Amino acid sequence: MFMNAAIIGVGQSAYVRRPQSGQSTHTFIRDAVVAALQDAKIDASEIQGMAVTSFSLAPDTAVDLAWRLGLSLRWLLQDTNGGSSAMNMLGHALRGVETGAASPILVVAGDATGLGGYAKIAANYNIATREHLAPLGHGGPNGVYSLVTTRQMNKYGLTKSDYGHMAIAQRAWAAKNPFAVYREPLTMEEYLAAPMVADPLTRYDCVPVVAGAQAIVIAHPDRCPRGRAPVRVRAIRNSFNYDNQEGDGLQTGISTFAEELWQAAGARPADIDVASIYDDYPAMVLAQLDDLGMILDHDLATFARREIGERRKPINTWGGMMSAGQPGGPAGGLNGISEAVLQLQHRAGERQVKGARRAVTTGYGMTLYRYGGTAAAAILERME
Amino acid sequence: MSTGVGIWRCRTCSTGYFPERLLCSRCHTHDFAPDRVTEGVIEEITVVRHVLGQTDWAPRRIANVRTVNGPRITVGLRDEYGPGTLIELFEEGNAPFGAAKLAR
Repeated sequence: MFMNAAIIGVGQSAYVRRPQSGQSTHTFIRDAVVAALQDAKIDASEIQGMAVTSFSLAPDTAVDLAWRLGLSLRWLLQDTNGGSSAMNMLGHALRGVETGAASPILVVAGDATGLGGYAKIAANYNIATREHLAPLGHGGPNGVYSLVTTRQMNKYGLTKSDYGHMAIAQRAWAAKNPFAVYREPLTMEEYLAAPMVADPLTRYDCVPVVAGAQAIVIAHPDRCPRGRAPVRVRAIRNSFNYDNQEGDGLQTGISTFAEELWQAAGARPADIDVASIYDDYPAMVLAQLDDLGMILDHDLATFARREIGERRKPINTWGGMMSAGQPGGPAGGLNGISEAVLQLQHRAGERQVKGARRAVTTGYGMTLYRYGGTAAAAILERME
Repeated sequence: MSTGVGIWRCRTCSTGYFPERLLCSRCHTHDFAPDRVTEGVIEEITVVRHVLGQTDWAPRRIANVRTVNGPRITVGLRDEYGPGTLIELFEEGNAPFGAAKLAR
């Protein structure tokens, strides 16, 4: 547990489907940084460290961003782990503050690839993708996770409407989030009638690419603005290349550390009030929840119908990436962390989960060949 | 087009890999022999019908295939056969494709 490091502020830019003239990855990140510093009541000149992730910062790197932001630092990190980058940066930043390497530390994620830019990234994601998948016309991650989803449906007896419960529930949360790009209600009829993208994935199963950025501030809990509870991370764990792509992809790297995570946090799944689960595809949300031990008897279908369909579990209360939008990939993970912080600080407005004290956040990503190779999870707690 | 799909087989433990690895994940040696897998069974299929940023896209059939005595690989399908079908594998460039044995 981190005793001398906590999340004290969060901020985000606008999220837009298409970046307009004058908007870039850098300007979205700037807006998120300004918002986070204002929220944390920290002056930019006090910042000693920064971690950043983005698919579209190049040719700039982290130090270029520090320069553009006018930040002189003694701790700097650039993370390249896609959907688990935010979680990875969170862990490094907490350790950086806890050990006295730097404080406060800004953790930043943003992207403004545009649709064409994202398509290029998807086709050149790594050498395996460029040489062995893109020539098939695999269509980026949609093609990969359509196969994983079919596998999951076959193994667990899931139907298409089971995934629909998640899309509908998250859209209802998104209606209460002014930053979400899709806020209008979604019905099961609309979900089931949506155009097929890559069988069995339809439009509402595929995370929409947006432009935007997030930022959070890590510092000693004493730096938290007066009248606001700092958010402590009780435990955080990561996994990279957990099975050499030799499994079926229905378990994630979270399965390798879940027991240790709960033990280190001194908590159980039943203690969790809010969950931010990385939601690039509905199948992977269920996979991560199952890996965390949050699905009774590994009965994914009943969980989808009851816990999600009947809104018994607050999951992805900002609307998730499926409704709020996914900036590039890396930034989406930071959105889930930010939302957990707002919920635990009781600042989530209309979507506030009453009395929320503990949250779980996850990250998942970097499709190596047949499924993702990185995963992470953390247990967050409101400090009274 | 060439018959079969080239894989890399560890000379120490005989594990087959696709795509190529630097070290064997089982025994961590780096001595691989080129090998070819010529057949596989379709496990799951998708049809990629829409791709971001593409306005003139022809649907593509993609499958997860369990190769005989080799790794699971993702292939493009050249015909309409479904899961459970034994297919012949072939390469176009570095990319693996498959078609049902009866159809070719």
